[in-house]
Amino acid sequence: MIDISGLIGTIMNNPVNIPLLYVIYDLLLKIPVLGGIVAFLLDFTILGMPIVKYIIGFVLWKPFFTLIIIPGFATLGTMLLVLPWLERKLVGRMQWRVGPREIEPHTRGSIQLLADTLRFLFQEVIIHKDAHKHYFLQFPFLYFIPVLLPLLFINAGAAGHPLVPIQTDYALQIMIGLVSLMPVFIIGVAWAANNRFSFIGAVREAFMYFAYEIPFIIAVLAMIVLYGTSNTAEVISGVNQSTWLHWGVILNPLAALTFFIATAMATSRLPFDIPEADQEVAFGPFVEYTGIVFGLAYIMAYEKAYVLAAIMTMLFFGGGSGPVIPYLGELSYGIWFVVKTLIILLVLVNLRGVYPRYRIDQALGIGWSAMLTFALVALVWSIVIGVII
Amino acid sequence: MKKVGTPEYDLSDKLKYHVSALSTAAKEMALPLNITTHYPRERKRQPACFRGYMLFDPERCISCFQCSFVCPANAIWMKDAPSGRYYPTVDYGKCIFCHFCIDSCPGGALRTTKIHDVAYKTMDEMFTSTEEMIEPPEIIREDEGVVDYVIDKEDLSLKRTKEIDELIVDVEPSQGVPMISVCVDRGSCLACKVCDKICESGAVSSVVEEATMTVKMGIDAEKCTGCGLCVKECSMQILRLVRK
Amino acid sequence: MMKMAAETKVGEAEWEVKIPEKKLKDRLFFENLKAMVIDTQMCSRCLTCVSICPSKLIVNEEDIVDFPDYDKKCLDCGACVRVCPRYDYKPKSGLGDYIEFTAGQSKRFKGQDGAMATEFIFSAIDMGLIDRGLFVDRDEQWRTSVFHVRGQEQLEKLPLGGTKYVFADVLPELKKAVMFSKVGVGVVGTPCMVSGVRKLQEEFPVFKEKVKLVVGLFCTENFHYNEVSKYLIEKGVDYSKLIKTDIMKGKFVATMTDDEVKFKVSQLSSILPSGCNVCTDFTAVESDVSVGSVGSVAGFSTTVVRTEVAKEIWDYIKKMGNAEVGEGKVEELDFLINHKKEREKNIKQ
Repeated sequence: MIDISGLIGTIMNNPVNIPLLYVIYDLLLKIPVLGGIVAFLLDFTILGMPIVKYIIGFVLWKPFFTLIIIPGFATLGTMLLVLPWLERKLVGRMQWRVGPREIEPHTRGSIQLLADTLRFLFQEVIIHKDAHKHYFLQFPFLYFIPVLLPLLFINAGAAGHPLVPIQTDYALQIMIGLVSLMPVFIIGVAWAANNRFSFIGAVREAFMYFAYEIPFIIAVLAMIVLYGTSNTAEVISGVNQSTWLHWGVILNPLAALTFFIATAMATSRLPFDIPEADQEVAFGPFVEYTGIVFGLAYIMAYEKAYVLAAIMTMLFFGGGSGPVIPYLGELSYGIWFVVKTLIILLVLVNLRGVYPRYRIDQALGIGWSAMLTFALVALVWSIVIGVII
Repeated sequence: MKKVGTPEYDLSDKLKYHVSALSTAAKEMALPLNITTHYPRERKRQPACFRGYMLFDPERCISCFQCSFVCPANAIWMKDAPSGRYYPTVDYGKCIFCHFCIDSCPGGALRTTKIHDVAYKTMDEMFTSTEEMIEPPEIIREDEGVVDYVIDKEDLSLKRTKEIDELIVDVEPSQGVPMISVCVDRGSCLACKVCDKICESGAVSSVVEEATMTVKMGIDAEKCTGCGLCVKECSMQILRLVRK
Repeated sequence: MMKMAAETKVGEAEWEVKIPEKKLKDRLFFENLKAMVIDTQMCSRCLTCVSICPSKLIVNEEDIVDFPDYDKKCLDCGACVRVCPRYDYKPKSGLGDYIEFTAGQSKRFKGQDGAMATEFIFSAIDMGLIDRGLFVDRDEQWRTSVFHVRGQEQLEKLPLGGTKYVFADVLPELKKAVMFSKVGVGVVGTPCMVSGVRKLQEEFPVFKEKVKLVVGLFCTENFHYNEVSKYLIEKGVDYSKLIKTDIMKGKFVATMTDDEVKFKVSQLSSILPSGCNVCTDFTAVESDVSVGSVGSVAGFSTTVVRTEVAKEIWDYIKKMGNAEVGEGKVEELDFLINHKKEREKNIKQ
């Protein structure tokens, strides 16, 4: 028999602390009609259990809150809506042109993505007869597995207030493992499409994977050695990244640089968008996708970028630490986390306006020469720093 | 033979260029220089010799067929009119707007306008008949302003003025390449005088002298417009167009 | 045909053309031609005038050269009068000058006898002397049409070769070929046509430049299509089965797939054209090479090589082994040469 009261007890005893909600609640009670409704709802009981209170408590339950709202699905979704628009507008500004505009000039084109999504929803999904029908449709959905699982371990909090769904000592290793699994799905997507451009794109993706994976893992290892833990809650604890002078980027800038370049390679961002180069392989592995499946393929890269940027914020930029915003309590950490992730994502995404594309052999070259050197030096450096500090 | 390779930069140069690239990007993101013309709310001011839609004046046409011959896309077809003359019709589905026809028209019957945005609903409508080419086509003007691109040494900037650009302009017909007609094989001339009859500008003259039983033929280079009618009609094909 | 591109050749802006004297002053040149040649029944229907006329002289339904509306459309240029071989008629006769009198049988082609006319034209094409030749084709009713040949493969589909004994419009086609051709043209024709071509070459240099080979045929007379077809059908010839027409030893032989019709040639004198009645040239003395059946054994064509050009081609043919060389007997031509020479007395002065 499930211990319901015990369950409810654990839920209600572990909320995210947001003082603002109480202030709003007080304000609401003072409004005549609305206050009456709110008070009634809060006291509404069925079978002796105040349902609405439990629901609100469930929403504010720490694991649920961090998984769904910050820094989980809701943030991911918002990023997916906001990021392409920001990218297109800012890259347009860099290139002396205006980004999307005609959808609604007054909103500066921000609902362009809504229009695109509608277009994807209504477009016909064409599966050509040579494609492996089941894998063709399933791989973009299966890709969500390695992308959404690391969300369980991302810590958006600051010292002493971890905002993370699951605290475990193996968090970072699990996240690295899942990130390493992602290119397999892209190759699977390309293989299912049964098209020569997809094949070329998949082969290039495999090459890129080969180039960035080792420096990436060594850079993260360097940070793990420096912090002495791979528990995400403790990575941003009072011991590790307590003040901004102790942020990872200051302590070990080489590792940060390597991680950043590895992120650019991993998410197929210019200058490393070799698998999807439009002029060379006509969008590579995703060339056969139309309709809503294309929408999913298109945002696969953005999802991966979000996860990697979140890991970067955690490891190098102190997670959610920053000046506390009053009345928001623990939400302020979340907000700072989102802001920092957004800034990193913006820098990552706007590199396409600055750099030309690397050739595949050049990318492999720097992966195995420069980046590997940096990563190994970073590892040694963090061992040295770890002894000193 | 010079071997060309990538230029060698040392580390400090590379870092300098990286930093300058990123800082330019950041600066442009913050204070962008925008050179987009927001068509159709504004139009770029085109020069008067812009190669746009063509208008036709039948009064000046001498049916020399030069426009049809010179068209590289075979877009001009000559259709006969009741007066016995042949007038050009343009298939805008094929026209590449090179305006060789306007350059080569000896009478200046075809002229250019600044109109570049005519829309058709079907492909068949694009075959413009002669009557349709005499008047300007119907276009919807949504623009309220005109954009000028001002280039000052290396700086490019836009200047926006609130006026409506006049699209039908009066331009001097271009000279093209001045050509005249000459006879390349005098001995084979029949003295049929067809060239004299067909010449519109009175450049070809033929005088029959009964006394000496000769016909004196002449082509006046000053009057000759290079239309090529005599070259086409000569029964022995001994006339050619050469540069003036 | 529109030579509109600018060329670097420099031309002349003034020139003079000598026009011929009119026999009938105050009349148009066509009226002169009509009075002197057509109405006097001397027109040989060689069609040289038709080929040169800028206003399109034509042949009418009765197969007579005519110009309807001449009073309005004749440009009075005098070209027709300059090129007509019968206008200031100086009749040619006899065997003429020649370099070699021989006979040949083509190994490549099948024709009336030895197909040497065809062989000469194609060898000239192979040598690069000319790029096209003119041949007379026929339809199932044996009506003639002329077309240009550029290569051997064109002969495989058509029943060329073989005398039709009917007038064909070769010379107007020659003018078109001269306008098109870049290298040269070769033509096969009867003696009147050969005289016409020589007059064209004398008067207009472009023909001298472009017409490089003139093959003449031995000819006693030719016939108008309408008249001869009527006559032959009355004699029992079925045109749909007709394979070959021949005149041998004074007899006209029409060979069909299952039958043969033979009669004396002199019976055709009622439909003999008046122009042929005043023609004295049997062997085409003005041609480059003359070809015919008389003077050699059956299956061989007598070949009279007259000029250097023809000698070059004949040497080429012998070198390439394209023809079997036979023997030509000059004496056998004497009877027909004299037969035609007697027609001189039919010429009215």
